[in-house]
Amino acid sequence: MKILTRMEIKRKALWFPKKKILIIADLHLGYEEALNEQGIMIPRQMFKQIKKELQDLLKLNPKIIIINGDLKHEFGQISRQEWSEATGILDLLLKKCKVILIKGNHDTILGQIAKKKNLDIVDFYCFDDICVLHGHKVLLDKKIYDSKILVIGHQHPAISIREGIKSEKYKCFLVGKWKRKNLVVMPSFFTIFEGSDIRNEKLMSPYLDERKIGSFEIFILGENNKIYRFGKLKHIK
Amino acid sequence: MKTQAKLRDKKEILLALDPLVKEWFFSHFKEFSLPQLYGVMPICERKNILISAPTGGTKTLTAFLSIINYLIILARKNELENKVYCVYISPLKALSNDIFVNLEKPLKEIKELAKKKKIKLQNIRVAVRTGDTATKAKSDMLRKPPHILITTPESFAIILTTKKFIEKFSTVEYIILDEIHALACNKRGTHLNLSVERLEELSNIAPVRIGLSATIAPIEEIAKYLVGYAKQDDKWKEKNCLVADVNFVKKMDLKSLSPISDLIDTTAKEMQQGLYSLLDELIQKHNTSLIFTNTRSATERVINHLKEMFPKNYQAVEETIGAHHSSLSKALRFKIEQQLREGKLKAVVTSTSLELGIDIGYVDLVILLGSPKSVARVLQRTGRAGHRIHNISKGRLVVLDRDDLVECSVMLKEALEKKIDKIQIPTCCLDVLAQQIYGMAIQKKWNVEELLNLIRKSYCYHDLSREDFLSVLSYLAGEYSGLETKHVYGKIWYDLKTGELGKRGRLARMIYMTNIGTIPEESFVTVVIAYPKDRKEEKIGFIDEAFLERLKKGDVFVLGGYKYQFLYSKGMKAYVNASVIRPPTIPSWFSEMLPLSFDLAMAIQHFRKLIDDLFRKNKSEREIKKFINSYLYLDKRAINAIYNYFYEQYHYAKIPHESKLLLERYKDENDKSYVIFHSLYGRRVNDALSRAVAYIAGKHGRRDIEIGINDNGFFLASYSPMQVEKALKLLSEKPEALKEILEQAIERTEVFKRRFRHCATRSLMILRRYKGEGKSVGKQQLKSHFLLAAVKKISQDFPILRETRREILEDLMDIKNATEILKRIKDGKIKTEVIYNDIPSPFSFNLITQGHADLLKIESKIEFLKRMHQKILEKISQKMD
Repeated sequence: MKILTRMEIKRKALWFPKKKILIIADLHLGYEEALNEQGIMIPRQMFKQIKKELQDLLKLNPKIIIINGDLKHEFGQISRQEWSEATGILDLLLKKCKVILIKGNHDTILGQIAKKKNLDIVDFYCFDDICVLHGHKVLLDKKIYDSKILVIGHQHPAISIREGIKSEKYKCFLVGKWKRKNLVVMPSFFTIFEGSDIRNEKLMSPYLDERKIGSFEIFILGENNKIYRFGKLKHIK
Repeated sequence: MKTQAKLRDKKEILLALDPLVKEWFFSHFKEFSLPQLYGVMPICERKNILISAPTGGTKTLTAFLSIINYLIILARKNELENKVYCVYISPLKALSNDIFVNLEKPLKEIKELAKKKKIKLQNIRVAVRTGDTATKAKSDMLRKPPHILITTPESFAIILTTKKFIEKFSTVEYIILDEIHALACNKRGTHLNLSVERLEELSNIAPVRIGLSATIAPIEEIAKYLVGYAKQDDKWKEKNCLVADVNFVKKMDLKSLSPISDLIDTTAKEMQQGLYSLLDELIQKHNTSLIFTNTRSATERVINHLKEMFPKNYQAVEETIGAHHSSLSKALRFKIEQQLREGKLKAVVTSTSLELGIDIGYVDLVILLGSPKSVARVLQRTGRAGHRIHNISKGRLVVLDRDDLVECSVMLKEALEKKIDKIQIPTCCLDVLAQQIYGMAIQKKWNVEELLNLIRKSYCYHDLSREDFLSVLSYLAGEYSGLETKHVYGKIWYDLKTGELGKRGRLARMIYMTNIGTIPEESFVTVVIAYPKDRKEEKIGFIDEAFLERLKKGDVFVLGGYKYQFLYSKGMKAYVNASVIRPPTIPSWFSEMLPLSFDLAMAIQHFRKLIDDLFRKNKSEREIKKFINSYLYLDKRAINAIYNYFYEQYHYAKIPHESKLLLERYKDENDKSYVIFHSLYGRRVNDALSRAVAYIAGKHGRRDIEIGINDNGFFLASYSPMQVEKALKLLSEKPEALKEILEQAIERTEVFKRRFRHCATRSLMILRRYKGEGKSVGKQQLKSHFLLAAVKKISQDFPILRETRREILEDLMDIKNATEILKRIKDGKIKTEVIYNDIPSPFSFNLITQGHADLLKIESKIEFLKRMHQKILEKISQKMD
């Protein structure tokens, strides 16, 4: 589905067909191992699922893939699972295209992996009048200031849709404004759960404001990768 | 094979006893008690025996007398070895300490006797090992093993994996399971059942099994549970067990009392006044009374009212009344127990915590406020009165409304005629099995066939299918995770080629020891407003997790005097909507209330049928009352009340009974339609039936069907038309499909989420304590949500998922009897009839108003009942004209 004329929502990713740039965010590789460490013996399925979804997305033949923060989950250390899965994902992508790593709040020590793959980690990445950044803090930079569209992750937006007393949670994209710029908030690529309910839970990104969130447009990712335009948040019952 | 134990001759026992033991015994007791006359000799002769006797029936001494005797004989001959001769297991830590004291004392006294007579005796050691035992005491036990070991099911399971301790079990000769009735019906009992087989496997001789139980049924099954199965020549055989059922000897004086003469035409004030005056009168007339209420909050309420209304009797210088329930601290409960033993209290009010055999001294009256819901329970509770077996158990059931009156009256009849309701023993629980297999793998390396054979010796797992067994092995071996990460998830290794298995990982023993157990940890749930405008979480208050479990989306409940509609939960938070118009659908005490037993329900249904027949034969009032008088054990006041109740139901509507299921349709003042099922089958059956009917009716029509259930029936309500009759018809056409339908109906419910966590914790998929850190219940619940989603992706047949469904359908609900009811409908043994009413019939009053009970003060509920009752009487008199 096309949004803001130049970009398209492809599953959980954002696709710029002219530039052949693909953006994904918040993979949180290693989340399962972190749960295991806490004694929750959840089986590791995420890597396989993410790999499969990426392989499907690679069929678009992107030139550049931007990973918009939080490739891995653990703070402060790199777990065994993270190391092997992060390199696995990067290898898969690097075979096909250029990869740009944007620093997220969980990526404090991503450096070693990046170094091994000869990749730089940047705080943000701009092309045309678009700027891609993780969104956990407001960055002050002239390039960002001059851009017209910001693309962020970090929030893991999801929404619960109620029908009668039945309710289901879905991942979603948010499209709205920050100051005078257009703001696109991406859902998490990670598969263990949908995300945090934007109507109900605390907003995490400083780019989002509880008083203004109602005027954001919602794009819901339904089953079988169908995308539904739901209109403005404040109009959703 | 069960055989009735025989009453043995006193002389026989005298011959068998060592002179020292004999002398000691008769310095304390005049005679052998009945359980002793039945039980002592068979134990001497090393026969398995189940002794069922009322509380205070000297059961424990019966079991220990032969064992002490045997040990004294050995000690005299200096033949006592350094090993465990007897393992005694009780469900309560507190009971373990009681038993320890009660064993130490006779042993000490016998020793003194011997000293006086200059007889040399080896020292007989007794030790307690529970979760509270200090490390030092534990290591002492290894150096000098106790000859009699007193323990709990959980500590027992830990010992069974402790290498050094196992050696001391090489020739255990006796195993005693106390309070079997409190264990057999839950997963702790399932767990213990397998542990006992593990002990037998470790021991070179098969220990004599001694089971002690309060009144319980079916006693044959409990005997089988105690002894299990043996394989002979490749064929399974039930093992032999003697049964000594000494319940019939205890004399009972049981009555049901109504606090006022007319239970319906009354005011709240009269009711209250009547109730507490009656209680006070009973308490003052006796030395010590034990009062059972059905909920914890009622316990406190009763004490407060008594103190307020009779300050002189209960608020004198010293406290004469106290509360004892599971929400109170250990120290407080202990203090009350102590005061009871010292005879300092006139009355203690309790919910369930004093049901089990903790020594509470002499109680001469047991009062039950409201129905205790099962015949076995009424006997267990009233059995607390009249300490010795020869005393009379005096029990009074105080009834609070007309349903209660009928229920209690039939219950008393069954109790006096010793028709005990049957318990259900859970079988083939896969979560407990996983925990046990892990323990066994830690103990040693096993051959798979050898392991399965051992497991099938246990009554609870005798019917375990190979398929289920293998699925648990595959789970434990971490096969669900794929090859690369098997080492992370595998608790055991399992070699298909050699058929061998063993534990995996260095932490195994530590993980096992710190996470073992079957009782789920529960905690309070915070109630929070969902979708608040300012996103600031507003806390309303707290509810029990067990109560949350009962909530369905859309249910309305009352907290702190206000109504809330339940929407969803996350971890330990329940999100609600505060602006609800609908009346409450679920009373706040719902999760605490014990369910009515199926057998008792059917006995009440049978009574209804008998009365219905009399009305239909146009029998006179006098004749019907005469029948009630001959059938039930009641006074005139109660007979009148029951007659009037049935009279109104008969003339206003119809009397539902064992062969007539009445469906009553009516609309309330807001035009909401109700279909009331007069299905008096107990709440566990109604839970299953109501969910299945609502699920099917919802599938064919609108989804917003409200459900209300109690023991006497259930209702479905909605503003749109419901095809309930059609749903019931579909169900009864294929009773065996109920399981599948219910499995679908519970899939996304709160109870499923909670029970999945419990099962995942029992099967150690969630570790409560891991790498030195404990996890709060909230965290466990939150994370188990991810786990549930992940496990469902692996397979809908994942063993822990299947166990969750089984637990809900079989243990929480009663799918077996629910299916049976549907079959009876199909076979025409139960006919359904639909009637339409403007005002709900008298038999449905309690069901319709139960949700409101929290909101309306008791006054307005009684007012409401009175108003409805008046209307019904008017209708009847019009009809009669």
